[in-house]
Formats: sequence, structure tokens, C-alpha cells
Amino acid sequence: MFKKILIANRGEIAVRVERACREMGIRSVAVFSEVDRHALHVRCADEAHLIGPPTASESYLVIDKIIDVARKSGAEAIHPGYGFLAENPGFAERCEKEKIKLIGPSAYAMRTMGSKTLARKTVQAAGVPVVPGTVDAISSEEEVFRVAKEIGFPVMLKATAGGGGKGLRLVREEGELRSSLRMAKSEAKSAFGDDSVYIEKYIEQPRHVEIQILGDRHGNYVHLFERECSIQRRHQKVIEESPSVIVTPGMRAAMGKVAIEAARVVKYEGAGTCEFLVDKDRNFFFLEMNTRLQVEHPVTEMVTGVDIVKEQIRIAAGEELSIRQEDVRQIGHAIECRVYAEDPDRNFFPCPGLITSLRTPGGPGVRDDSGVFEGFEIPIYYDPIISKLVAWGKDRAEAIARMKRALTEYVITGVKTTIPFHIRVMNNRHFIKGDFDTDFIDKVFFKEEGERTLEHGDVAVITAAVRMYLDERVRTMAQNPAEGTSPVSMWKYSTRPGMRRHG
Amino acid sequence: MNYVGTIGEKDVKVGVREVGVARYVVTIDGKEHLVDVHKVQSSVWSVLYGTTSFEVDVHGKGEECEVLIAGDCYKFTLVNEQRKAMLRAGGKSAVGKAMVASPMPGKVVKLLVREGEEVKTDQGVIVVEAMKMENELKSAITGKVKEIFVKEGEVVESGAKLLLVE
Repeated sequence: MFKKILIANRGEIAVRVERACREMGIRSVAVFSEVDRHALHVRCADEAHLIGPPTASESYLVIDKIIDVARKSGAEAIHPGYGFLAENPGFAERCEKEKIKLIGPSAYAMRTMGSKTLARKTVQAAGVPVVPGTVDAISSEEEVFRVAKEIGFPVMLKATAGGGGKGLRLVREEGELRSSLRMAKSEAKSAFGDDSVYIEKYIEQPRHVEIQILGDRHGNYVHLFERECSIQRRHQKVIEESPSVIVTPGMRAAMGKVAIEAARVVKYEGAGTCEFLVDKDRNFFFLEMNTRLQVEHPVTEMVTGVDIVKEQIRIAAGEELSIRQEDVRQIGHAIECRVYAEDPDRNFFPCPGLITSLRTPGGPGVRDDSGVFEGFEIPIYYDPIISKLVAWGKDRAEAIARMKRALTEYVITGVKTTIPFHIRVMNNRHFIKGDFDTDFIDKVFFKEEGERTLEHGDVAVITAAVRMYLDERVRTMAQNPAEGTSPVSMWKYSTRPGMRRHG
Repeated sequence: MNYVGTIGEKDVKVGVREVGVARYVVTIDGKEHLVDVHKVQSSVWSVLYGTTSFEVDVHGKGEECEVLIAGDCYKFTLVNEQRKAMLRAGGKSAVGKAMVASPMPGKVVKLLVREGEEVKTDQGVIVVEAMKMENELKSAITGKVKEIFVKEGEVVESGAKLLLVE
């Protein structure tokens, strides 16, 4: 087993990995930028090294600096977390060359699965179902028409170099195809400098379901069932759960098998996730494989009891998987809410800043994977994630009730957070019924929210009025201390035991 | 003390009377509410309405109030009655101007309007990037862009004046 691991990340995920290290008796080495000297991941590590200016491209993303710290500190392995260098095959290659173990798959597996078209070809060859369409860029307009007719409308035109919704066009019927193709190509050209597009069947009202897998270098594979990640805002996951309400036992076994097949073709080592789109008839199609630890891994940990980070570390150290497929059970239901420093009442504006006070929820079945503390200033340079709140219940209804309870206990002041948004989702009737797809938040939820009447307007006005009254009194007292005394005499305070003076 | 609250289009009369230690009778449009109100944590207040317990997070600068209760956000304005009378007497100095300021530190990515251009309420006027996200800022009023204080590519502090609509 390793004696020392470097964590090439920051925030909640670095803290998560450090926790696993400490429990396993492994020394952890943190890296930090100039703005992160006070950050929690520095405080929770056994060692910490400054790696440069705040901008990630000058610190957390600089491979040379990370390798240098690994050398200096004597770390035998590097955990990349998610984001930053986690899916960078160049980094994986460099680690291989430097003989430092990267806790993750090989550069080859990362490169194969990292390319959308290559991943598609590879898994398709292994018999994994993919969304019908072309694998390669289409050269001629005639071919676009031929393929579109073959797979049937609606179809999606996608930029080969794509990302971020650019160069993406939905085509409902043949008549729209020519102009849509022109627009997709010109968008792709201006966004990526490459106008090649490919074509895919458009899955209507899709749900996003993914399978967590683990594989070791001895050829053992297990899957840890599914996570439902259809609650997304602008294609970003915000709430995840396990199990998924639409996945049947048969489907679960089939998806698990397929995910393992996909992993096996690239000799995948470590923890990985196969993402699928599921259509309304419960057909599932491979979307992509994430070759890293996922943000939402805790929901799987809560229902299976498997510590995914510890498994990653053991696998990287060359051990065999500690579990066999038949040992893995899915018990109860878990939900995760991603708490971001964003204002849900101002179109999710990022709100970096100082956390002036904090009360973390607790009690049965609640887990808070946080990267902050009271007095911490959330920097503007990185993802505005504060924490991931996870609730476990014996069934979905209890998990929702518990999540709602935990969210209302969660108090973060100084910055706006997405906690209010999550409470509203937990209260939404469609969410409670499990009736949603990946467009639910953007197309249904916000509309319904706009029509909802609020219950406690009186209490809101009362509290604001009392606050204003007290502010004015403080101001008056400061200006004119003699006149501004409280209408309640000091004498009465002492005769009323049990009443605390409000400060 | 008396206040005027404005919720949506509607004005309500609000009175606050202190009747004990941290105990108040708050009157809203003639209806009396007895409450026990304690500031417990930064901007968070513990309110006992009768005996019903609420946690209330109150934000907002000046008249603008933004209150969070159990995940719901209540937005309204609240102004001291005397102050409101004074403002009214003082004329329209502040009316018809709206400054678009940056709500966070970031970088100006794009100006969507030019000086002199007519804009409508809620029309996007400028794009500011922070925390890897592009954010479109909107004009609060309908009017003409009077002045632009920043250039594309400029880094701005939180609260920086970006442009003025009149």
C-alpha cells in the first residue's frame, strides 16, 4: 500500500480524498494556489505545497508543478479528483513516464474514452448499444440526407469538435435539414475552427442514467448499480439519486453488464462511470464514459456501503477488488444536492465571497461533503461548489423527506447558495413522483415555480420590519444616546428571569 | 414606528411596537401579529410567531428586502413612512435612472449595447464572466443608455459601475 498520496485538486473533493487517506493511514499531500492558503483541503492534509498564482492554468493545471511536488514530497501516487487534470491523458502519460502511480485508468483508456467518436466505435464493437447515427464526421450534404432518413427524424446535428451546446441543432423534419446543417456548420466553424458535424438520432424526453463501475488490473470488474442524474440545469447535473425510479431489475442487470463490457475493452482500471440516455420506452444508449471519480459518487456509497475512493486507492496499489458482484447490494435510497455559491433568485448568478456563518445539518442519514468553513472566503477563480449534501432513507420518500429536513437545517450566510432551489425541487410534485427528464428544471420546474403562491409573506414582512426598526433604533441611539433608550426599562430585565436581552 | 411595504404592486401599512424584550406587535394593514424575534446568526433570525418557530434569513440594502423562509424567497420594499413622505416631497431625483453594476468581481466579456441606444426593462446590456460562467446583466428600467463606464476585456470589482440607463 502507498505511504503517501498527492491530491492534485482543491475544495470538497480534495477533502474527500484526504479523509480516505487518513482513515487508511496514508499521508496526504495537498497542493494549493496563492488564494487557497486558508482552504479546508490545506488544513485537512498532512502536508501542503504552494504551487503558484490563483489562476488554475498557472497552478492546479500545471503538470510540471504537480509532478515536482510529488517528487519533492516523495508521494508514490497522485489522486486527481475530478476536473482539473483528472481526464487529461497527457497528465496520465507523464505520470506513467515518471513512475508515479496515477489513481485512475491508463492514458490509453483515458484517451480512447475521452474522444466521443472513438469511445463510440470502441464500445459499439463490444456490443454496447449507442444512439443511432454516424460515428464519423459527414462530408457531403447528400450523405446527411441519406443518414437522417435512415435513422428517422427527429435527428441531432452535432459538431465533431463540439461542447457547451455550440454547433448543436435539433432537426424535426426533412424540410428543416438543409438550413439547420448550414447553421450547425457555421456555428461549429466559428466556435471551434472546424465545421465538421455528425448526426445522431434525437432521443425525446431522455433521462440520464449512469452506471458506476470498478475494475482492477487483474481483470476483475463490478458495477455498483445506477445513478439517476436527470435533474440538470443547463445540462449541468444538480441533483442525483440512486436507485433510479425508472430502472427495473432486468434493466439494471443489463446496463451493469454493458458498462462492464465497455470498461473491459479498454482494460479499464479504477473507478469509472458509463453514462446512458434512456428513452421513454426504457431503451438505453451509451453516451460516454467518465474516466474519473464523479462528483455524485457519494449517492452510490450511501446505498452500497462501498467506499469508492478507498477502492480506487487499493486498486491503484495493485490489490484485487475487495468485493465481488454478488456481494454488492443496493440498500435504501440516496439523494445528493450540489450546493453552489449561486443565487437561485437571480438566475443562478455566481456569488463568491466570505462565509459569515455556517450551520451544517446533521442527524440520521445525512452526509455533508463540504470544502468550506465559517470565515472562509470562496474565491472567484474556481467552480463555485460549496458542498454536496447527501441524504439516505430506507426508501425514496424517506430520502426526500430527510433531504428537505437537512436542507432547512443548513444555514450559510454571507453568500447566496442554491439551498433554497433544492428545497423547492424537493417540494415539487413531479420530482416527488419521479416524473421528469433532463429538460425538467429548465422547461417545467421554473414555469411551475413562477405560478406558485408563497405561504409565509406575513412572517417575511414582520421580520424585515423588526430588523429595520432595530437598525433605526441603533442609528438614533448613536446619534442621540439620551433620547434613544429602549421603551422597556432596564429594571424590568432583571425581574424577568429567563428572558435574554437581544443583541 | 410605521412603515410602508410594497409587495408587487400593492402597498401595505406596517407598524412595529416593542412590547417586551425582543417581543413586538407588528401590525400589517390593521391586523396585529405578536412575535418574539431574535437575531441568532449573522443575517438569520429566529422568529416565534405565537409559538410557531420560523428561521428567517433577511437580506437587502436600504428599502429592498429579500427574505428567505424554508427555501422560499420573498422580495418586497419596506420604507419608513416619514422617510417616504420626505422622499416624495423631495421630488423625482432618483426616478428614471438605473445604474447597472457588477454583482460580483469578474471580467467584462461583451457589451450588448452602445451609448445612446434605447433599452427595455430586463433587456440584456452587458456580459460579465466570473467563476467560469458568463452572466448577462439586464437593465432594470426602460430608457436610453446614458453612459458606459467599462470596456470589453476590463476586469471589474464587485459593485463596479458598468453603465447607466436613463
